[in-house]
Amino acid sequence: MIDVLLVARTHLVTALRERVTLFWFLIFPVFLLVLLSLIFGQIGQEGEITFTVTLVDFDRGSEGPFAGVIAGVFENLAEPDTAGGDPLFNLIRPDAADDLNAFLDAELVALRRGRRAAVVAIPAGYGRTIERRLFASSEDAEGEVELALYASEGNASSDMAIEVIDQVLAGVDREILTGAGLFDSSESVPHVTARIGSPEGEPRYVDFLLPGIVLMGFFTNGLFGIPGAILFSREQRVLQRYWVTPLSVPRYLAGLSIGHLTLCAFQFALLYLIGRLALGASVTFGGYGPALLLVLAAVTFMAFGFLIASLAKTGNAGMAVANILNMPMMFLSGLFFSVTGLPGVLRVLFYVNPVSYLADGLRASVGVEAGVFPMSLVIGVPLAWIALSSAVTAWRLRWDVGR
Amino acid sequence: MNAFLALVRSETATFVRDKMAVFFTFLFPLIFILIFGFLMGDVDSPSATLGLYGAVTIDEASLRSVIDESGVNRTRSFGSEGELEDAVAGRSVDFGLVWNGRALEFLYHPNRIQENHAFEQLALGIADAFNLRRQGLSPILPIRTVHVGSEASTRWLNQMVPGIIAFSILSSGLFAISGHLTGMKQRKTLDRLIVTPMQPVAFLAAIAVVRLAVVYVSTLLTILISIAVFDLTFSIDWLRLTVLVLCSTLGMMGLGTVIALVVRRPSSAGNVANILAMIMMFLSGIYFPIEFMPPFLRALSRGLPLTYMADAMRFATGVSDMSVVRFWAIALSLLGLAVVLFPILAGYVVRPQRT
Repeated sequence: MIDVLLVARTHLVTALRERVTLFWFLIFPVFLLVLLSLIFGQIGQEGEITFTVTLVDFDRGSEGPFAGVIAGVFENLAEPDTAGGDPLFNLIRPDAADDLNAFLDAELVALRRGRRAAVVAIPAGYGRTIERRLFASSEDAEGEVELALYASEGNASSDMAIEVIDQVLAGVDREILTGAGLFDSSESVPHVTARIGSPEGEPRYVDFLLPGIVLMGFFTNGLFGIPGAILFSREQRVLQRYWVTPLSVPRYLAGLSIGHLTLCAFQFALLYLIGRLALGASVTFGGYGPALLLVLAAVTFMAFGFLIASLAKTGNAGMAVANILNMPMMFLSGLFFSVTGLPGVLRVLFYVNPVSYLADGLRASVGVEAGVFPMSLVIGVPLAWIALSSAVTAWRLRWDVGR
Repeated sequence: MNAFLALVRSETATFVRDKMAVFFTFLFPLIFILIFGFLMGDVDSPSATLGLYGAVTIDEASLRSVIDESGVNRTRSFGSEGELEDAVAGRSVDFGLVWNGRALEFLYHPNRIQENHAFEQLALGIADAFNLRRQGLSPILPIRTVHVGSEASTRWLNQMVPGIIAFSILSSGLFAISGHLTGMKQRKTLDRLIVTPMQPVAFLAAIAVVRLAVVYVSTLLTILISIAVFDLTFSIDWLRLTVLVLCSTLGMMGLGTVIALVVRRPSSAGNVANILAMIMMFLSGIYFPIEFMPPFLRALSRGLPLTYMADAMRFATGVSDMSVVRFWAIALSLLGLAVVLFPILAGYVVRPQRT
């Protein structure tokens, strides 16, 4: 037993001493957890983002009940809601002496170059147009002007700013209609939102992400760590030296597996602590279900590592194979985002990918989601991969130096 | 000249044999684009299917006409609320709407975190328009939305492809020095080469020529496949693209020199380059828009060469706009990096290996 534990300790210490391994197995998952939480945790919460928006009011100085209404709304939104808070818009406006047409042209260039999220141009006579549409007949559309909302499609910030401005203008629209006595808000039907099977509503992104990142850590650990340990040790004749000692292959394998699983436990503890303490995740992994699924995941990915080690001739080839498998398997499994609407071949890859089942099962077991796959598949598919990988490994993996 | 050609031949063979280099230069961009293209290709205009259950017939015609005008791609009707809930849970519809005469209840799948925001925007539009329509009204504010960019800039995937090409150039340039050259130094191949009449400049030129050719082919291949598979539109300025590929590759080889000089063990230089490349990829606005990052990450992003390379590549491919002065400033800065660092690199080649 001591020899097994010594091999486990060697694997663990080698991994922790090697700065590169340390980076990929521990630091990179933490980096990704923090980065994705910071970025995607705030999408849809507009208060967290300030958009730089330009307002050019060609209707400035005109008379009438609706002149200046739109400009006033944007000016209000450029004030922070709370003292010291960030406003929704960082509003850019021309100076009194500026030529408005030249200013608009310059701002449209700034929008194209990504320095503005949107440009709003209120045309001369816009107040009059509103007045006419409210009180004149619908046929009386002569001389109507439109508010121009300039956007840079494909620019995520601009897309989101336009969504916000659309909502703001819809609100203004409603207020004008109500103020004119045309719209009776008491007749409106409420708009209710419900999440199927989730009384608490949509989970926070960090709670959704944390189980995915834990699995990603296990996955990269198995995919790169195991073939790296075996193939490079074989190339550098370290294994050859082991085999002249009383250490047998099964005992070496047992030691390697224990070391690998201990490293997975380190990964899990680190990610869990950072997720909970630094990022405010509320998800817990308590109980038998999550624990068993975490062990199943670690063993499945370890078996995958053995599979790669048995298929690759050299350490570098093993790393190349791992790299090729790494991205498709990670991204086509819903580790970071839920996966829907895939075309034929990619859908097949999704369904044969054990990571898809483990991610779904783990999230369901910790209560983050209802779970799409039945538990039989969540356990059965990874077990099938373990069986397949073990069979191929037993058949093909060579423990000597050359092949 | 023969010696130079022999060096080019040998460098080509070495590159082709290096599986990691081939992977990161050719396969990585293609795999990345294929996965993300299919996974998030419709992120700009999600093709939403709405499931509808009308428990009452009051105002149903108004509701249906509002839905038809809302941007929802398809509407499926259900016979009961339970059937609709099952469809949303099973993802056969993207979101659901129950109309019971008193409220519009929108149903979402709780796990579709990145898509629900878009569905909620559609729902909001439907609810607003329906409430107006029921009272015989329509929006009073005339608004037109105008897209200011070119056709090539309208899709998220268009923005991503040049970023991936920039990353591929970065990794190829970095690994040419901090993976390949340091590896040769460690294996003492360089020690053998420098006792021949070979000039270090000719050797470095051979590496640069091979990398430039490979990167250029990879760039073209990536663009062609994105056009063929995803029907993307680019408006490529070939002169700018060629200049940028040239300057970026040489500049990144220069940056690889810094890593080779700073990292003590030659074998670690490749790993450090790999780590730096990966971190830069996440922080340079290739995966995620820089605008959504917290301020400190935005500031960090602005200090990374890949951010500027990706911006310039988007400009060269007609995806986004920038001033011509800025483009040339980026290209010449990258070239300047190479001009400054290549003599140091030549010194590194002939210097005996550190122990």
